[in-house]
Amino acid sequence: MSVGHEFFLVGLSHKSAPVAVRERVALSGDLLRDALVDLHRRGGVQEAMVVSTCNRVEVYVYAERPEAGRRFFLDRSAEAEGHLYERTGREAVRHLFRVAASLDSMVVGEPQILGQVKEAYGVASAAESAGTFISRLCNRAFATAKRVRTETEIAKGAGSVSQVAVELVEKIFGDLKGRAVLLVGAGKMGALSAKALRDLGADRLLVTNRSPERAAALAADVGGQAEPWETLHSLLALADVVIVSTGAPTYVITRELAAHVMKARRQRSICFIDLAVPRNVDPASGELSNVYAYDIDDLQRVVIQTHAARAEEAIRAEAIIEAEVMAFARERETRAALPVLAALRRRAEEIALAEAERTIAHVGERLDEKGRRSVEAMARAIVNKLLHGPTARLKEAAASGDSDLPGAAAELFGVEVEPEEGRRGERDAEAATNPEPHP
Amino acid sequence: MSIQVLRIAALLYAVAATFYVLYFARPRHAALATAGQWVLGAAFLFHAGAIGLGCKEYGGTEFFSLRGGLVAMAWLAAGAYLVLQRLYRIPTVGAFIVPLVLVVLVPALFFTSPNLPESLPETVRRPVLTLHIISALLGVAIFAIAYVVAVMYLLQEREVKGKHFGALFSRLPSLDSLDQLNQRLVRAGFVVFTVALVLGAMVARHVWKTAWEWDPQQISSLVIWILYGVMVQLRHTGWHGRRYALLTIAGFVLVIGSMVTLNVIPGATRHGGTFQ
Repeated sequence: MSVGHEFFLVGLSHKSAPVAVRERVALSGDLLRDALVDLHRRGGVQEAMVVSTCNRVEVYVYAERPEAGRRFFLDRSAEAEGHLYERTGREAVRHLFRVAASLDSMVVGEPQILGQVKEAYGVASAAESAGTFISRLCNRAFATAKRVRTETEIAKGAGSVSQVAVELVEKIFGDLKGRAVLLVGAGKMGALSAKALRDLGADRLLVTNRSPERAAALAADVGGQAEPWETLHSLLALADVVIVSTGAPTYVITRELAAHVMKARRQRSICFIDLAVPRNVDPASGELSNVYAYDIDDLQRVVIQTHAARAEEAIRAEAIIEAEVMAFARERETRAALPVLAALRRRAEEIALAEAERTIAHVGERLDEKGRRSVEAMARAIVNKLLHGPTARLKEAAASGDSDLPGAAAELFGVEVEPEEGRRGERDAEAATNPEPHP
Repeated sequence: MSIQVLRIAALLYAVAATFYVLYFARPRHAALATAGQWVLGAAFLFHAGAIGLGCKEYGGTEFFSLRGGLVAMAWLAAGAYLVLQRLYRIPTVGAFIVPLVLVVLVPALFFTSPNLPESLPETVRRPVLTLHIISALLGVAIFAIAYVVAVMYLLQEREVKGKHFGALFSRLPSLDSLDQLNQRLVRAGFVVFTVALVLGAMVARHVWKTAWEWDPQQISSLVIWILYGVMVQLRHTGWHGRRYALLTIAGFVLVIGSMVTLNVIPGATRHGGTFQ
């Protein structure tokens, strides 16, 4: 292990900082890569990773001190001061695990964050700022997130209004291939839902508005096709999902209009999603057969239910996180014991072979080749037998979190662990724990 | 002998039904559905063995009784579902169909031997009769699956329209896919049933010397055939969804109702039985 290095997190998120601050420090693409290279070059920073999304910017460093992380923010905006939080060691590990598992998200359980953390790790790997520690950590974080996802119901249900709309439409139409979505009005939520439906595979996205200019602008924004307001009736006959969010104070879609449209559609199912307040779709339309009508309250109610259910699941998720954090820490400590073992073994073998050589030099002429090899083998066998017990006990101690014993062993046997050789030491130690059977 | 094998098959159906129902309750464990499918396949094979042994033991006459008909129909329904499963991958439907197969099969398990009609006159023993029986039962089996799918449609529609998006909502397939499946099943069942009717008329002409006799069985079969024929036709004029599901359910109630009544009331029909 590299002595004196610890894992630090410095960051800010939707919980600690307003968007005005967050957007000033957020990074992506080449800028993010450059920032990583810059971070990595700073003194005492061995490894670094930056998670930057619209809700959080977090710098993870494996370093001597967390200063580099703080500087990252303060160099970009002095305003960040006061909004930053810092975590060290196990706390920082837990934080990353919680972020990846979407427990720290604005909408708990939302699925995008894991992909964003994976991307952050990918960028750090490409920039070569992520090394052994961050690789191990991230792999564990991803596995933990997957466990949380499969073992709890944290990601179940729809977390936002547009997600509810998507789920509803899926349950009515199955997939949206070959179907058309019509967006009536220019509400923001409507545009979001329309986009979500297009991502689901809807073939055509039609947009209409009382003002042709706004219709055209909105169509360009959501990647749809603007249609004149006057053709609303024929558009309704065409579209399968209609998202309505106009500023009109009355019903734009009355029951009569819906009934009329159903005739023109030859009873093909239609789904109205009314996101406007006051409502734009007469709820009585939903009484017609094969007409499905929902208003914002219907959707909001599902969102609230989901959030309540997720809050309950989050408790179970936290338990998984805790177990994984402990497991990671234990693994890390086991690894920490390995260099001591390797050094111990190297030293013992050096002594044994030197002694064997001396013996051979003494009685060399009376021994043939086979006899010499026997002496060397005996020396090795003594080392193996002698170190077998201490090796097992050191590993055990490390696994149970006792970090004193490896230090004590190093002291007792008078071996030194060179920090630069951490990785080589580990490899040696792994070989050492599986000693070849002596001849 | 055949009854023992049939009991093993019933046991396997029960296991398969349990797997499918558990899968319905816990959709995250896809392995449950796979297990259900394999066990159902095994049940189907044992069931086939039981039918084969039964034919050897009783010379095939068992299928003229209600019991034999139900046993064969359950087998065909299980087979039809296995085929459907390959085509559409809808394991949630299994949670509804496999228990139904089991329910149909259970009464047959209590009779150690089928209550055989008197021996079959030689004049009736023709391959066209066998084909008539198989196609008629297969048609009914397909209608049974369509019925189950229609019930699922109504359940899901109630969830979707009633705006309570609970456990059923998330587990049942989409309305559109259920509706499509229902329509395909009705169409397939109608084709098979038509074949059965034509073959039946051929048998009747041979045995009764006239293809059409105004026998209650013939009349009810014709009514059922017309009903499903109308449903196939209505589809082209845009009928679908709830009304279609209700029609499918009504059709199957008629099928089962006539099948049971005509078999239970003695002398109601000359169909099946002794052919006298």
